[in-house]
Amino acid sequence: MAKAIKTVSTVVSKVEDLGNDTKRFTLVDQDDWELPPFRPGAHIDVHLEPGLVRTYSLCNEPDDGRRYVIAVKREREGRGGSAFLHDRVQVGQPVSVSLPRGGIALDPEGTNVFVAGGIGVTPFISAIRHLDRRGLTNYVLHWASRGQPVLPDMIAPAIKAGRVRLYDTTEESKPIIAGIVGEFGGSGLAACCGPDPMLQAFEQAVATWPDDRKHIEMFTPPKLAAKSDVPPYELYLSASNKHAVVTPDMGLLGTLESMGVDVPVSCGGGICGACRVRWTEGLPIHRDRVLSPTERQSELIVCVGDCAGPRLVLDL
Amino acid sequence: MDAQAIEKKPVVTSWQGVVRFLHKTPRAFLPMRTFPEIELIASRGIDGDRYLIGQETGFYSHKPEEGRQITLFEMETLEALKRDHGIDMLPEEHRRNVTVEGVPLNHLVGRRFRLGETIVEATRLSTPCRHIEEILGKPVFDPMINRSGLNCKIIVGGTLRVGDTVRPI
Repeated sequence: MAKAIKTVSTVVSKVEDLGNDTKRFTLVDQDDWELPPFRPGAHIDVHLEPGLVRTYSLCNEPDDGRRYVIAVKREREGRGGSAFLHDRVQVGQPVSVSLPRGGIALDPEGTNVFVAGGIGVTPFISAIRHLDRRGLTNYVLHWASRGQPVLPDMIAPAIKAGRVRLYDTTEESKPIIAGIVGEFGGSGLAACCGPDPMLQAFEQAVATWPDDRKHIEMFTPPKLAAKSDVPPYELYLSASNKHAVVTPDMGLLGTLESMGVDVPVSCGGGICGACRVRWTEGLPIHRDRVLSPTERQSELIVCVGDCAGPRLVLDL
Repeated sequence: MDAQAIEKKPVVTSWQGVVRFLHKTPRAFLPMRTFPEIELIASRGIDGDRYLIGQETGFYSHKPEEGRQITLFEMETLEALKRDHGIDMLPEEHRRNVTVEGVPLNHLVGRRFRLGETIVEATRLSTPCRHIEEILGKPVFDPMINRSGLNCKIIVGGTLRVGDTVRPI
């Protein structure tokens, strides 16, 4: 059986060397079809090769519906993702990506204060282009960079209009974040993306702000199809003699997939019955809407199932 | 009643509907694009769609299914999602190929009917999937249970256009 398609197929249409160890990659559909939509400042997982998946913010705007644009700085001390992109990814190469996730809930009326460090500016470039396209000027970007900033071409109108304050930290001191956001304490949105010290200073500055008025850009993990709300339990697959522990963040289905079990999931919501599995031991939790009480005595719909006890044995 | 009288009796159809929207997409996850007409290929699927048999690139293509050559969805369900659940779902968002109005899809499983100049045979009801919630970011799974459309195979191919009539054979 062919493998299930779990990612969006794209092709690299452009690679630009922006200097300062940064490259910009444009990804498109092979037939220039529209790509799945995204919110301003959303991010995607880029599948570079088996076991090498990295998350990058999209720096183009949602209305630019046929491209995903990411900018990647080579991390000399990194784990290999940026080096792979810089050294091995070329125009015409196929690249699989996840559906876009996250994004910034912009304040349509109050001031949106963006604070960025270096390449951390990417989600705000997306947001600024989104606002500019709508003729909205209710934002300001404070952007600290070591030397000349990269990507200024993408927000040239905003820079020209004076809505971007640039800090070259090789020549001047870093921005005082408490002072910047403090000016807008009563209204609007404040958002930050950058190195850890900058994020910590920002978190401190907005500590008393309501959650819906602050945004700290940290790449969030994919939303799980079915979250488990029970304590961890042991999973034993009797036919294949495999053991694993099911944790709340992985859930039963996620654990089975991580064990390499090809479960024939279809609806993913417990109504079609495609992933019914025989169980032989444990206290299964049935959340499906397809099995009869009799069937539940020996079968479990694993896309929504779980276990109330310490151990579940499945006939897999 | 004699045979001649029966022959002259007008055929009364219990329903007649119309094609409102047509959609296809070439690959899994990509947005559906709206077209004024699409080409149905008998026994295979829709030209250029992800579930065309022999060129499958859809989310469910790892599970081949002869009866999934073309899929239909009711306009009335879109209205019900808005009315009953406050969910705005656009015709291109349900990810079926044909949006029809005035067609009782749930009653057609196992039957053949006309879609414009083409003829299709309904094989089973479509099942909603969490995949669509992931793509749309809208909580549509539960509200779409039992009204998620119809899977069909294409018996007689041809060009299907927006505005075409849908009727029983």
